[in-house]
Amino acid sequence: MSPNFDDIVGGDELDPQDEARLRRVHQLLVQAGPPADLPPELEQPADPETGRLVDVPYLFQRRRGLAAVLVLAAALAGFAGGFAFGHGKAKPAAFAAERVVAMQGKNGRIGVIKLGHADTVGNWPMLVQVSGLQRQTDPRAYYELWLTRNGKPVAPCGSFRVHGKTTSVRLSVPYTLRKFDGWVVTQQPPNDRGIGPVVLST
Amino acid sequence: MALALRTMPLVTGETASTDGELIQRAADGDRSAFELLYRRYARPVFGLALRRLGDRGRAEDAVQETFASVWRSAASYKPERGPGAPWLYAVARNAIVDRARGRSETPAEIPDEAEPGDGPAEKAEQGWVAWRVHRALEELPEREREVVTLAYWSGLSQSEVAEFLGIPLGTVKTRTRAALMHLADILGDEVA
Repeated sequence: MSPNFDDIVGGDELDPQDEARLRRVHQLLVQAGPPADLPPELEQPADPETGRLVDVPYLFQRRRGLAAVLVLAAALAGFAGGFAFGHGKAKPAAFAAERVVAMQGKNGRIGVIKLGHADTVGNWPMLVQVSGLQRQTDPRAYYELWLTRNGKPVAPCGSFRVHGKTTSVRLSVPYTLRKFDGWVVTQQPPNDRGIGPVVLST
Repeated sequence: MALALRTMPLVTGETASTDGELIQRAADGDRSAFELLYRRYARPVFGLALRRLGDRGRAEDAVQETFASVWRSAASYKPERGPGAPWLYAVARNAIVDRARGRSETPAEIPDEAEPGDGPAEKAEQGWVAWRVHRALEELPEREREVVTLAYWSGLSQSEVAEFLGIPLGTVKTRTRAALMHLADILGDEVA
């Protein structure tokens, strides 16, 4: 049942002009219905400290590309709850990022790696978000994230498949990150144990 | 005696910027402007997406996509064509439509008869109204937003709201009136 205007704001005499305005607002509130309950992941706006937000190892040549990566990183950094496989069907616990690394590829492909705090034995949790990667047609095909040395992929960090325009996955690596100089994502064809073509890189 | 309901301006300083001004600043790479837009519109975008998509996960994706698009496309906003809210609404709607398309994996059958209920035009109008109202709610001080939410969508009577909040009934009514008058000021033409 719709709330009654007189029950809510009635009681004292109102200026007719004010009453008309209040009644109109009342109608609009009833018509609009309740606002959505914003999930915790979306509660926080992006981190205002731009400099600490994105750790970009190499300067991008195109501002547009950087802007897209920045906003992805900003959005990701703001989502305290993190993401899960399959469009958030399961909600993991909050993910505290230590730094965020941006990746870029051709044709508008972008990616963000959100690095958490390493545990006592050196496991680095990561939240990886990629956008614009081609959806694999073969059920055995996948993408692989690598750490690079001298620009070449040398340490595998985990595999994933994309399910839409943007995919987010949690991974973990046990490496000493400072020994590497960047990250790439490769497209791995089925039944191929080699390193596939690079589709995203820092 | 008629109550003096004219309200003081709600916004000062940075938050006094219009949506259009914030979009223009975001186009120049101003992240603080982008964050203000996010605070103002994250909930309305999520609400709109949730109503259209019916799935929280997809709605969350739509919020991300919307703000990514806002950042990327802010330079395309032309203030001479109108205020920022309709432009943001269009960006959000496009992101949501993209998500809705992605959900349709099988071709939809064309019904022989019109479905009961509101048509696309009515739904669009309702979406816009909800967008404006929920956006306006974001501008209210917390204690005013609280009484409006409880009064309209909790199912509680005003007496029960007073009991729930531990404040006198008269305070609840006064606060509710002030909140509605603030909303009227924010909504402007919508209540003219």
